[in-house]
Amino acid sequence: MGKEQGVKRLSKRTLVEAFFILLIIPLTIFWGLTVLDDRKYYFISMLIIFYTMLPFFMVFEGRKPKARELMVIAVLVAIAVAGRWAFFMLPQFKPVVAIVIIAGVCLGAESGFLVGAMSGFVSNFLFGQGPWTPWQMFSFGIIGFLAGILFKKGLLKKNGWIYLYLCVFGGLSTLLIYGPLMNTQSMLAATGQFTLELLIIYCLSGLPFDLIHAFATVFFLLILSKPMIEKIERVKIKYGLIE
Amino acid sequence: MALFELKDFSFKYPFGEDYALKRINLTIEKGEFITICGDSGSGKTTLMRQLKPVLAPHGEKEGELLYEERDINRLDLREQASKIGYVLQNPDNQIVTDKVWHELAFGLESLGYDAAEIRLKVGEMASFFGIQHWFHKKVIELSGGQKQLLNLASIMAMQPEVIILDEPTSQLDPVGAINFLDTIKKINRDLGITILIAEHRLEEILPMSDRVFVIDGGKLLIDATPTQAGRLLKEMNHPMFYAMPSSMQIVSHMVQDEYPLTIREGRQSIERYFKNKEIRVPRLEKSHKPASDKKAIEFKHVYFKYEKEGPDIISDLSFSVNEGEFYGLLGGNGTGKTTTLNLVGGMLKPHHGKINLAKKRIVTLPQNPQALFVKKTVLEDLRDIAKDKDAIDRVTKLTHMAYLLKAHPYDLSGGEQQRLALAKILLLEPQILLLDEPTKGMDAYFKRQLAQILRELTSKGVTILMVSHDIEFCAQYVDRCGMFFNGDLISEAPSNIFFSRNSFYTTSSNRMSRFVFENGVTIKDVITLWEKNKA
Amino acid sequence: MVDCFEKYHPVVNFVYFFAVIIFAMFFLHPVYMALSLSGACIYSIMLNGKKALKFNLVYMLPSMLVLACVNPLFNHEGMTILFYLKDGNPFTLESIIYGIVSATMIINVIIWFSCHNQIMSSDKIMYLFGKVIPASSLIFSMVLRFVPLYKARIKTISNAQKCIGNDVSQGNVLRRARNGLKILSIMVTWSLESSIETADSMKARGYGLKGRTAFSIYKMTLKDKVVIGLLAILIALVAMGACSGLIYVNYFPRIQFTPVTVWSSFVFISYFLLCYMPIFLNIYDEIMWRISGQNV
Repeated sequence: MGKEQGVKRLSKRTLVEAFFILLIIPLTIFWGLTVLDDRKYYFISMLIIFYTMLPFFMVFEGRKPKARELMVIAVLVAIAVAGRWAFFMLPQFKPVVAIVIIAGVCLGAESGFLVGAMSGFVSNFLFGQGPWTPWQMFSFGIIGFLAGILFKKGLLKKNGWIYLYLCVFGGLSTLLIYGPLMNTQSMLAATGQFTLELLIIYCLSGLPFDLIHAFATVFFLLILSKPMIEKIERVKIKYGLIE
Repeated sequence: MALFELKDFSFKYPFGEDYALKRINLTIEKGEFITICGDSGSGKTTLMRQLKPVLAPHGEKEGELLYEERDINRLDLREQASKIGYVLQNPDNQIVTDKVWHELAFGLESLGYDAAEIRLKVGEMASFFGIQHWFHKKVIELSGGQKQLLNLASIMAMQPEVIILDEPTSQLDPVGAINFLDTIKKINRDLGITILIAEHRLEEILPMSDRVFVIDGGKLLIDATPTQAGRLLKEMNHPMFYAMPSSMQIVSHMVQDEYPLTIREGRQSIERYFKNKEIRVPRLEKSHKPASDKKAIEFKHVYFKYEKEGPDIISDLSFSVNEGEFYGLLGGNGTGKTTTLNLVGGMLKPHHGKINLAKKRIVTLPQNPQALFVKKTVLEDLRDIAKDKDAIDRVTKLTHMAYLLKAHPYDLSGGEQQRLALAKILLLEPQILLLDEPTKGMDAYFKRQLAQILRELTSKGVTILMVSHDIEFCAQYVDRCGMFFNGDLISEAPSNIFFSRNSFYTTSSNRMSRFVFENGVTIKDVITLWEKNKA
Repeated sequence: MVDCFEKYHPVVNFVYFFAVIIFAMFFLHPVYMALSLSGACIYSIMLNGKKALKFNLVYMLPSMLVLACVNPLFNHEGMTILFYLKDGNPFTLESIIYGIVSATMIINVIIWFSCHNQIMSSDKIMYLFGKVIPASSLIFSMVLRFVPLYKARIKTISNAQKCIGNDVSQGNVLRRARNGLKILSIMVTWSLESSIETADSMKARGYGLKGRTAFSIYKMTLKDKVVIGLLAILIALVAMGACSGLIYVNYFPRIQFTPVTVWSSFVFISYFLLCYMPIFLNIYDEIMWRISGQNV
């Protein structure tokens, strides 16, 4: 029963996603390229980001989530945000990605995306929104989503090495997904242009920060992942999320 | 038509060996005010949760549970949500949203009311509770007592038929608790809403109650009016009797068949008894010799403030605690008691004056035991502090934790969690032990256990400094008490003398008997004095 | 001072900031940028006092200079060649100017965002999204409830740990880090476990029933409707002007403005009114207050 629902859910999201990818996004790009001039890359990219996030939220809302499901997501988001606050004196040393990955592993890809996107939104609400907000929401979200797809819970029980893979995934995703996406946003915001040369320069100048961030992610995953996954699993049993 | 009716109702947890509730028969009529008593683990919470099916734990059920003569499980969810209100113990954990207005509207949103209706109902409720000026506040700005009132108001906004409250005041200070209970009384008296409440503060709650349920070992032991319940408990010689109001315990000992509930009635009974009788022994002679005259803690003209421009929180404080002494600091909120504790603990430093500490190992038991729990089981958690097996054995024996070693710290009851925190602290082998409100939320049984543990520690030379609101506990067990006011100690004496001198800030026994005896501070004192004078 | 724009309906605030920020990102016309930037600065000072300005000057100007200098290094378009770089590429005046314009644009957007952050409270966000995405909005509200609670818990735990000798502010880095993580770990357990009771409290109050509504404390008044009407007209005018290419500036290869016409000055005035709208509303409010004579 649960599995069937899962398939249905996934297909629904895939459908919406396909609609966006095949129709809306090309239309936007076409419109952007023909109508907009200087700022086209910035707007097109922002709209695409918006479109990719939309189906996740729509499916989540359509599913009418239960109280305890909302609760686990809210608690994890709040932990991520409070964690960022707790380590605020160390720039870029943020536990957010680590907690988003753990959320993806424990709650599945879709909730992983939500925890990531909400963490991005709320932490920006508290620390200051800016044009980077959608980018950050997307970057965190997609990392949580990937974590959920790559690390099925079953694997964790069988294989102790998985925690190590988790760390590797955390480091790489921070360095190769979060960093480049955020650097692209600053590039687009500042110059309005999209060239490979500029992108490389922006990525290189952001590299020290991205390295610290990746290191922080690995560090937090190394220490937090095992106990935190156990804690979440325990609460899930207590909630009756797993029978 | 009865609101609730239980017929031979039994309940068993999925992995439980024994029934948690055993063949319970009871009815609750509309508009009644009912108090449920029982030690923790007696099945109170299990019973109350059964009355609100969405909160009822899974398990095997037998017998019938009727709401308005219908099987409660056939009640539709909407009706159940609105008609049966449930207030939980911890004020913080129940609040879902960030703003007061949103919290008040939460239940009505669930029920699907439109904005205009919600505005009206919320406005009405806020005015009834006198909380309308909090409306735009953030929840985090409220005090514990205010949060619990908010929880109550947000349930009241849904216009329930009955409100079930599970130890709602256990996390509140006395002022907040009394205020909360007064509101409950008002809801019952002025709106006719049925109240079912589990509560430790029987002294306040029994005079309001129509009936008392005493639960023991999953059975409904007593279902009677408060006075009758007292009589039955006394006849059974049941330990629960020692949780009853002091007036009842004292007077029922003196006079046949009198079970007064309030201090006023208690005082009248005592005075009636001694009318025209000569009081030969007006006071008890007590020795107040300190265990040792070596000073463990000594404050000399200490001043402290948090900000340079701010007012002094502690001003010109001088006092000392002897080695092996159990010292209690009493007083209202915000008078500087906890600050003093932190000064001793070294978390804060005075800007003037001197603090001499004769001992090095000073540890504090925090108010929230959760702040100490690290591991998955009690045993691992204890090992986190000290590896020595003998030490762990000793401490678990002292704190009666031995049977709980495999449990998860969060699966323990409130009192057990307190004991685990204490056990962890004791593994550090403190020479000076600082306690911040250790009896908060504890029932009478756990309090006695705690007192025993502390006695044993002081007898080994450990010095204990405790901050507490719990007058009765201090009067019974503490060696010496100090009254804090406005950053300074305004009075200090051995606890018996301390309380017999005060006229408001003192135990119920003393308030009742002070017109007859000079120092009847505890129930035992008054009874002993009576024995000496009766012949 | 007390800002009156904040008291308008969330829809007014949202539409306003959405339009102003999008326009600020779009228009690279120096005169229009000056309008928007001055409006943003004045409003931000009204909201946050002089500190805001100081922040802008200290942090924004250097980044502006850097951008202005970096751009010509990679962008070699433009006709007015100042000199040639070592790699043989030209360093042009146009690209310096374009760099300055881009930097100003970013600063402008950030200042508008800082005003937005002041005005768009959580209640307003809840109102805007509560009906569209109710579950996500509720999560938002719950997170805002939990974050300060968890911060307080972190403090409680850190104090309690200090009391038993695990002090984060003492010892070497390793020890401190270990204690810091212990605090985090305790907070995680505490919060997860206590959330069970919070979920109970949601269930007890009927969460999950069909047909949940979203209550808000906002009411659309006549004043709001008038302002929305005004906003709509101004936005439409500016957008029409932008679509007909009036606000377009060509930077490469040579800087070219579109000529001034009656219609373009009309668009210009509309944009001015739009960017200064909160300021004017505040002034209007002040005048009405004075006239009412309440402050005697």
